[in-house]
Amino acid sequence: MTALTHKANIRRTYLVPTAATIRLQIEAKLARKIPSALTPVPRVIRPVVPTGVSEVDVLLAGGLPVGAITEMAGVESTGRTGIALSFLRHLVHAGRACAWVDVSDTLCPESAAEAGVDLARLLWVRCGVSKSQAKPSTEYKFSLPDRFFIPASIKKGLHGGGCGGHPRNEVKGLPDAVSGLLRPEAIAPRCAEPQHKIRAEREVFMPQPQAIATRSNLRMNPTKPWARIEQALRVTDLLLQAGGFSAIVLDMASIAPEYASRVPLSTWFRYRTAAERTQAVFLLLTQHSCAKSSSELLLRFQPGEARDNETTLFTGIEHRLQVERRRFAQEPTNVIPLRKPPHSVNAARWRSQSTWAGER
Amino acid sequence: MTKHEIYACLYAKEFPAQALLRLRPELRSKPCVVMEGEPPLEEICSLTRKARSLGMSRGMTRVEVDTFSEVIVLQRSLKDEATARAVLLECAGCYSPRVENWDYERSFLCAIDIAGTTGLFGPPATLARNLLTRVGTLGLTACVAVSSNFHAAVAVAKGPLPISVRIIPTGEESKALAALPLTVLDLTEEQAQTFALWGINTLGMLAALPEKELISRIGQAGKRLRQMARGEMPHLFQPVEPVFTLVERMELDSPVELLDALMFVVNVMLEQIILRATARVLALASVSVTLALEGGTTYTRTVQPALPTNDRQVWLKLLHLDLESHPPQAAILAVELDAESGSTSQIQLGLFSPQLPESSRLDVTLARIRAIVGDENVGRAVLTDTHQLDGFRIEPFSISSADPSALSSAPMRPAMRRLRPAETVFVTLQSERPKAFTFRERRYSVESAYGPWLTGGEWWTATLWGSEQWDLAVRTHDGVMLCVCLIRDLLRNQWQIVGLYD
Repeated sequence: MTALTHKANIRRTYLVPTAATIRLQIEAKLARKIPSALTPVPRVIRPVVPTGVSEVDVLLAGGLPVGAITEMAGVESTGRTGIALSFLRHLVHAGRACAWVDVSDTLCPESAAEAGVDLARLLWVRCGVSKSQAKPSTEYKFSLPDRFFIPASIKKGLHGGGCGGHPRNEVKGLPDAVSGLLRPEAIAPRCAEPQHKIRAEREVFMPQPQAIATRSNLRMNPTKPWARIEQALRVTDLLLQAGGFSAIVLDMASIAPEYASRVPLSTWFRYRTAAERTQAVFLLLTQHSCAKSSSELLLRFQPGEARDNETTLFTGIEHRLQVERRRFAQEPTNVIPLRKPPHSVNAARWRSQSTWAGER
Repeated sequence: MTKHEIYACLYAKEFPAQALLRLRPELRSKPCVVMEGEPPLEEICSLTRKARSLGMSRGMTRVEVDTFSEVIVLQRSLKDEATARAVLLECAGCYSPRVENWDYERSFLCAIDIAGTTGLFGPPATLARNLLTRVGTLGLTACVAVSSNFHAAVAVAKGPLPISVRIIPTGEESKALAALPLTVLDLTEEQAQTFALWGINTLGMLAALPEKELISRIGQAGKRLRQMARGEMPHLFQPVEPVFTLVERMELDSPVELLDALMFVVNVMLEQIILRATARVLALASVSVTLALEGGTTYTRTVQPALPTNDRQVWLKLLHLDLESHPPQAAILAVELDAESGSTSQIQLGLFSPQLPESSRLDVTLARIRAIVGDENVGRAVLTDTHQLDGFRIEPFSISSADPSALSSAPMRPAMRRLRPAETVFVTLQSERPKAFTFRERRYSVESAYGPWLTGGEWWTATLWGSEQWDLAVRTHDGVMLCVCLIRDLLRNQWQIVGLYD
């Protein structure tokens, strides 16, 4: 009995193929239908930077991709700016420099500082701000009506009630005033009188100094939306060309989609290539997706809800976002399953908490 | 005279023409004359070799000059000459701290005490050649004479011999001077006439005259002249201290209105300034451009990059962008560049330090951005100590070298998006609390209102302010939610939306 078992074991050792052999055999059989069916897909590790919101980082498998365009689309109060600032906070604390191209001049530095962003490392470019707009005149003119003042007492017996100057000053400059009143024809000689020849003064033409015309003098009205966008696009081009900025945020979140969608697609393609070359994270905040296929990641921000756990304080907002498109989504295997695969999670929820709400 | 005395005399003739052509390199190969005097009575005061070969000479009037074609006529500029003199003196000062300046009307002459410099700069011949090379890079031509007697060096330098470097060995001064004409001695008219009558034409002939008889005829001046002719005249050295200033000035031939044309001139001036700064191992920290405009006004702009640099292209681009965004209001008559020097320290980045923008490239980029969006709209925000809205100022952006602070864990904050300017809204109130309002043509009803938070300040000045802040969660009838910051201006009694929480 023992000898038989031993023999069987020996036969099994020689006849049963190894797992690798079986895998090769199966792959060879399936090669026409599924190439390299059982070989795991080589994993490409793409560098990412965390956003600082754990729920979003889990959803995005680490954070936002480096060297690519990430588009954050959504209406107002959906949390795009909050996520962007939280993301910048991580970068600036690593000693990197970032840039915020503010198309509608909406960035609030106090808010950025509250989010933990070191403002010394953030280059802020405000587009479309005219000089008069930059410094609003808040000066409040205050004057009391006359009835609140004590009227000056009129002194009797004095010239002009004692309020005027000395009478002798009244005749000062009188001859000049009189001659000024007399028109030239009144003092001109009449026809019978001998007439002096009045020599006409030679007219001298002085060259008028003219302002030097430069391109800056010919700017269009910078407060118009398209002018702002054009400025921002030129600035972004310059920043991407200069290189060295780890993140560039193009904030078009307050620009209406009809203006934002006018930006040609070639611009986004150019930005994508430049971002890839300089290894910068390019964040695009919009109301509606406009970078199309040039963006690697499109995050759709859904309208959130205000948290109402306090009756007297605004404590924050509950946000929702959805990954609408990801360009290089990593497939776990190249085997096509027979069953319908379960839907992967592509939405996240998180809460923001206002500074004054304290620890909860 | 001590045994160790040795002087190098630097002499540049036709100085009015040289000073003008220094910053006009394109004219150096052409015949140029420099005119001096009031317009109808102008005369040539200096001319180039090419102009002389055409038959022109000093003292010709304007009418005579007009008979020559292809001659470039320039007006004498004393300010340009003063700048060129300062540049040459400063160049001479690089070889010795003891430099004596002799002011001539139409030439430059300075004597350098080079005793004891052999260890630093080599023998006198090498020093003289290096000095001439350096003067050549400044756009000037000169000659150098080295002698142990001061006056001998001066006389040989002023001599007509076309040799740029002349070394007179000690003890052979009289031999070297013998062939020189008497004009090198700065004789008075009377003395020149007397010597001409006597038939004395060269220094050798003057040196051979008996001393006592000469003194008895023309006085003590005769003794001095004879000593100079023999190379024995002692000299009390009176050194000047050349001030190191990086200033270049140029008066333009005609008023310039185009900035691009001006940049050609600025380019040459910058080249000279950078050359002088580099010779002292310095870099330019800031450059001020002062433009003299038509109408007698001046216009000054200063450019200061984050780090001192000697890159001419960077400076040119920065100056161009600055002048383009702040153009002068009239045509330009003269340009003056005044540079401040700084150390040429370079920032050494670590191997593992994060990627940061390159300093000089960032300066140019920022200048370009400033030209697009305006000066006050680029930079880093610095918060001011106030509770007022928009309590910040913009400062120029530079790469911070300080270590970043540690990242602390903090919950995510709702960010505010400011509306600049704030949008005025009409608010419906219910028991003194906002109930509904219309904003951007949509009607919003208030779901929750938090407030009022009263703020105010500066009641002691005319810029007093006071407001009542409300944080609102509002919704339209179709369910769109907004979180807004509403403010009631207490001075104007006006409701405004100042920001949206995002």
